[in-house]
Amino acid sequence: MKIAVLVSFLAVLIVFFFVAQIPITLTSDEVDKAVSEATTASGGSVDEELLAQAVQLSVAKLEKGQSTRLKYLASAYLVIWLVFVLYVLQLERQQQELDKRLAQLEQESDDA
Amino acid sequence: MKIIAVITSLLIFVSLYLIFGYARIEGTMLEVQKIFYYHVSAALTVFVAFGVNCVFSIKYLIQRKPNDDLLAVAAAELGIVFCTIALLSGPIWARYAWNTWWNWEARLTSTLVLWLMYIGYFILRSALEGDKRRIYSAVLGIIAYLDVPIVYYAVDIWQGGLHPDRGTKWSLEATMRQTWMVALIALIMLFTFLLIVRYRMKKAQARYEIIRQKHLGEVS
Repeated sequence: MKIAVLVSFLAVLIVFFFVAQIPITLTSDEVDKAVSEATTASGGSVDEELLAQAVQLSVAKLEKGQSTRLKYLASAYLVIWLVFVLYVLQLERQQQELDKRLAQLEQESDDA
Repeated sequence: MKIIAVITSLLIFVSLYLIFGYARIEGTMLEVQKIFYYHVSAALTVFVAFGVNCVFSIKYLIQRKPNDDLLAVAAAELGIVFCTIALLSGPIWARYAWNTWWNWEARLTSTLVLWLMYIGYFILRSALEGDKRRIYSAVLGIIAYLDVPIVYYAVDIWQGGLHPDRGTKWSLEATMRQTWMVALIALIMLFTFLLIVRYRMKKAQARYEIIRQKHLGEVS
């Protein structure tokens, strides 16, 4: 039973980490390249450095927001799983106790 | 039994895949909205669990079969587990959406009252013995169930609360609605599986007590 609980818990973590829509971190090189391409394509004259800075700030802000939201999401599912795991472990403990009492009763019966 | 266990496990994994990999990200709450799928499903499973408790409590009072009492207790216990999940996952949503962990609005308060009533159900059971325990707890189970429609209709009765209208979940975008339906079925299946396990355990415990009493009688 304990193994089943552990396996299910690990499976949930794996599902969460591999399937969750986790933010894609953008590097400053990628931002610079994208800004350069966009300004070239638009044909207008803009301060590329200033624009890159603004974009980087926006990306950082968006990523921070997403990271916070994912923390809330992960916490909620962790709490849900924890309640189930604790309940299943409690069931297992009760079952073991009953088995022990039954064995004891059997022993007493044999002795009598 | 094994079939139910396999189906339940599969449904849980499929529902988790759908939640994190398929359902569209909602526009306002973004990723945090994904708490909804298990939070709401757990809350609805609570109604099913306490409904089973109520039905078998009535059945026990009419027919006085101890097995009905055991099934009612098993359902109440699981109802508390699912209610705890709804009560714990709700505040995490609330902290992000409403900037507060808890608010004494109608649905939250009536759900907490429901949880407390079933905790009271177990306190009552632990304080009594034999037939008295079964009869009194069956009556309390029926009375406590009266809070379920209050929880369900709380948003209509006391308008202006923080919870959305009852109909909101049905007007979800297609991928979200499908995901929620799978999550709901998964949790109801999990409830069914655990109910059978718990009922069998309770029955085994009751049988043990009968054998032990008989054994003690023989020895003395």
